[in-house]
Amino acid sequence: MSSSTGFDYEGVLQQCATGDRRALMQLYEQEASRLLTVVTRILKNQPLSEDVVHDAFIKIWKNADAYQQELGSARGWIYTLTRNLALNALKHTNRQVLAEPEFLLDLCDNQVLASAGQADDMTELAEDHLAQASLQTCLEHLEPERKLCVLHAYVDGYTQDEIAKLIDKPLGTVKSWIKRSLNALKECLQ
Amino acid sequence: MNKKTYKTPEIDDDLAGQYVLGTLTADQRHEFEQRLASSIELQRQVNQWQAHFLSLTDRLDPITAPQPLSARIERSLDELEKQPKPAVQSTTNPLLSFWHNLSVWRGISVVCLVLVMVLGFKLQTLQPVLSEPTYIAVLVQPEDKTPGWVIQTSHSNQMQLVPLGAVEIPAGKALQFWTKAEGWDAPVSLGLVKKGETLKVDINKLPPLTENQLFELTLEQETGSPTGKPTGPITSIGRGISM
Repeated sequence: MSSSTGFDYEGVLQQCATGDRRALMQLYEQEASRLLTVVTRILKNQPLSEDVVHDAFIKIWKNADAYQQELGSARGWIYTLTRNLALNALKHTNRQVLAEPEFLLDLCDNQVLASAGQADDMTELAEDHLAQASLQTCLEHLEPERKLCVLHAYVDGYTQDEIAKLIDKPLGTVKSWIKRSLNALKECLQ
Repeated sequence: MNKKTYKTPEIDDDLAGQYVLGTLTADQRHEFEQRLASSIELQRQVNQWQAHFLSLTDRLDPITAPQPLSARIERSLDELEKQPKPAVQSTTNPLLSFWHNLSVWRGISVVCLVLVMVLGFKLQTLQPVLSEPTYIAVLVQPEDKTPGWVIQTSHSNQMQLVPLGAVEIPAGKALQFWTKAEGWDAPVSLGLVKKGETLKVDINKLPPLTENQLFELTLEQETGSPTGKPTGPITSIGRGISM
């Protein structure tokens, strides 16, 4: 399946699996900056993040043959692999845990997006237009505090412990908010 | 909106979502990954969650990947190609996965640091041994205090700046090594750090090293600071102690 940008993530992974290095470099051109952005947001350390993105591309190259169409989103597969490396690398760095509620909430605010005039660029990246658009809508149904827990976990890679301290709530509350939020999102996305 | 009618979580969906959010504990994560490896359905769910959540991080302002990163990846691919291709997957090549395993290098750095600390402690508390370092400093990153470098001097009249891990220097930039003791007007440059090399400084050319003397590395132009004083961000900083 190709995305609306015409970039064929699935095809590129298949070509990588056959040993076509150009395919990996095409993926690099397409995705390296975004991957570095995601990883740097989590690790808050750019040299370390560059190491992780390097390792991610090597792992994508080595494991491309493990990707099959039945596994669904190829872009999702690439990010799962990369984010896992980033989350593992967290063990070796002490990053600062910061609360940036406005910044995070803006990430899922459709109006902010539209007013910034970026809507076209951003949605182009989405592999599945409808599904992506509806995540934003579904997040709007969550209470801001719960939404923030989900955003801190995904965007910042914070642990539930870190989130609990950050927003000054018991760990149990944060855990249950995240679980319930995921259930609500899942129901809404269907 | 306050929905009070949440269903009891269905274990797998719940876990796939939490796995993508990164909120599982290490044990849960490990257990889930084992099941994930043998379940196409679970992998599909994970990729689907990931694709949904990606729409959030796609809105972050992108950081441009520096040019050397693609060159580094190409070099690693060259290395991989030089290895005889294993029958199934190159992930099973223990040598390669060793060289490319970030955790191994991080682990080694930590071991090195512990070693330095332990040696330092022993040297402070035990009788001196032959050719021990006489002056030592550990430089850490200012933000997160990750140890990055060790400085040591011995009777050889040389000061060595030793990296504890892989050092990444952006293209067109260099790390410049500075020191400043109490009472000095400004830091003095001790030279530029080259990638993969231990920087050696002849301490005879310096005023005597003092307790608590400040050492730092700053990110400067490739040719060094144009002003002769630190101009770029501090990447590592620490103070020296005599042994």
